Amino acid sequence: MPPVLESLLKIAVLVGGLMTAAAYLVLVERWIAAWVQDRLGPNRVGVPLTKIRLFGLGQPVADGVKFLTKGEFTPGQVDKILYFVAPVAIFVAAMAAFAVVPLGSVVLPASWGFDGPVRLAVAPGLDVGMLYIFAVGSVAVYGVVLGGWASNNKYSFFGAVRSSAQLISYELPLGLGILGVILATGSLRLDNIIVEQARSGTWNVFVQPLGFVVFCVAAFAEAGRLPFDLPEAEQELVGGYHTEYLGVKLMLFMVSEFLHMILAAFLIVILFLGGWHFWGLTGSAEAVSWPVALLRVVVLLAKVMGVILFFMLARWSWPRFRYDQLMEVAWKVMIPWGLINVVVVATWMEYGVQLARPWNLSAAQGMAIVGWGVLLLCWLATTIIDPTASGNRPRRDLSVNDNCSE
Amino acid sequence: MTNHQHILTLAVLLGAVGLWLMLPRGGARGRAVGTVLGIVALGLWFSQFHGLGQWTADGMFFVLAAIAVVAAVGAVTSRNPVYCAIWFGLSLLGTAGLLLLAGAQFIAVATVLVYAGAILVMFLFVLMVAQPEGKASCDQMSWEAGVSAAAGIAMVGVLSVAIGGILAPSCPAMPPIAPPTQEELAAGVLDPHQVARLGDELFGRRLIAVEVAGTLLLAALVGAAVIVNQFSGRRHDGQQKTV
Repeated sequence: MPPVLESLLKIAVLVGGLMTAAAYLVLVERWIAAWVQDRLGPNRVGVPLTKIRLFGLGQPVADGVKFLTKGEFTPGQVDKILYFVAPVAIFVAAMAAFAVVPLGSVVLPASWGFDGPVRLAVAPGLDVGMLYIFAVGSVAVYGVVLGGWASNNKYSFFGAVRSSAQLISYELPLGLGILGVILATGSLRLDNIIVEQARSGTWNVFVQPLGFVVFCVAAFAEAGRLPFDLPEAEQELVGGYHTEYLGVKLMLFMVSEFLHMILAAFLIVILFLGGWHFWGLTGSAEAVSWPVALLRVVVLLAKVMGVILFFMLARWSWPRFRYDQLMEVAWKVMIPWGLINVVVVATWMEYGVQLARPWNLSAAQGMAIVGWGVLLLCWLATTIIDPTASGNRPRRDLSVNDNCSE
Repeated sequence: MTNHQHILTLAVLLGAVGLWLMLPRGGARGRAVGTVLGIVALGLWFSQFHGLGQWTADGMFFVLAAIAVVAAVGAVTSRNPVYCAIWFGLSLLGTAGLLLLAGAQFIAVATVLVYAGAILVMFLFVLMVAQPEGKASCDQMSWEAGVSAAAGIAMVGVLSVAIGGILAPSCPAMPPIAPPTQEELAAGVLDPHQVARLGDELFGRRLIAVEVAGTLLLAALVGAAVIVNQFSGRRHDGQQKTV
């Protein structure tokens, strides 16, 4: 099979799979929302023209048809070109990020027309994989910002301004959370990060819990999931940056939102939860035959699904942050924690073996103890100092005559 | 002067006139003519390009180069500052694609990450906050259109005549560029340790330069924080915006 054809095949599978996954995750999200709120949720749409209900599995198809067949109305006050560009930009950026995400490990050749080992990623050779995801993810901001600006509507505009500040602020803790993993692995490639965890059998979450917390919170914010969904905030901004959108363009925004969530889940699993590795089940060699490779894909996707379910439960467990709280969490808690994590990991990488030797510990065990200890200390320090203490009280620092130390 | 250099000189002159006509000089006169001249100049430039040897690589190069150049022209000729920023971002994406094609993965991705991802979003943010009504009159004019068109195109002209002269087929000193061999690809584009080598170089031999640059940025950050805090006693988000 020529390489171009192989790439096209992978792209087709990836795009088809992701679009279907996004559609059905909407249904899953609605089911979970219903379960949390003690309702029934969507359970009626099944096979058309019959009375078969299939637990509502036909709902995404009906939603899709509705989105696609809605009249394409363009509001009069919008900036026509950017109004059209914004959803395309956000969708392309969300989709392009998956090019370097490994959906499994390397498969050794076995008939089926492949001549070399098959790598289960669209662009497996990119040495800067993690940075590429960052770069493409930062392009996704444009969709939100342009959508809000082009709509020429105050609600959309507020959503766009909020989100540009939010997404830029949370890119810093996101990067700091990843930095520890990259230091420990010594590579920016996602497949190398998984192989390293599989080889040692220690997932990064066990040795760098602080980095995991920072990265998870930042990933929630970057995906715009509920505690951090200020860009759209239905109750206060109608729909935020996509207030003025409908039909296919709105669908592109919605799908991109779910793609961001799927990407965040993939990254959490790959960076911290061992990727396709599971003890005693998948082995740790990089290249394997088809059956084991498929098992690994299943393990990876199961983990990703678990993280996505966590995302959806979190949605109904916390109320939305207020804007100043959002910024305080990013700048006063998450960034210091991320910096501490990087310093601790770097120090341990340099002196860990010597420090662990007197206690008869392996480097991984020592790192785990240090990591959890640091997490505990950070949490204690944060609760005692309480940088976000202004909380729900009146803001003293906003009065003109007050010159408090802040 | 060879025929080759004649064509390049013609392309430079056409490009200069076209760019001058396209720049917003307080009216829409001649924009269409300028666009046509610009496209002709771009075609002349491309016609003098010696292929990389493979049609896929050539095609990618032409598409990316066209995106980068057209978007760059759009960035200076557009009347609406938001459009200028978007054109600039598109130009950066084209440039990043060219860098990727040349095998410089890290620089390509870093260009998108730093410029398109951080700096340009900041531009948009400021434009939106400062001019929510859209266009300020001062942004719709190009001051000194003639001088800027001449200066910009002079640089492109010198570069293209110089590089084009070296790459001319009649020039005996330099054979036409051969397509990269598999070994060269393995050492460049497909090198699995590209970033590690770059890191070694940056934080080994060039450590002092990196440290100096970092210190400079820190000084700029502190300066920005000081300037912001001068203006009012109350707390605001000045530090965040300057990062």
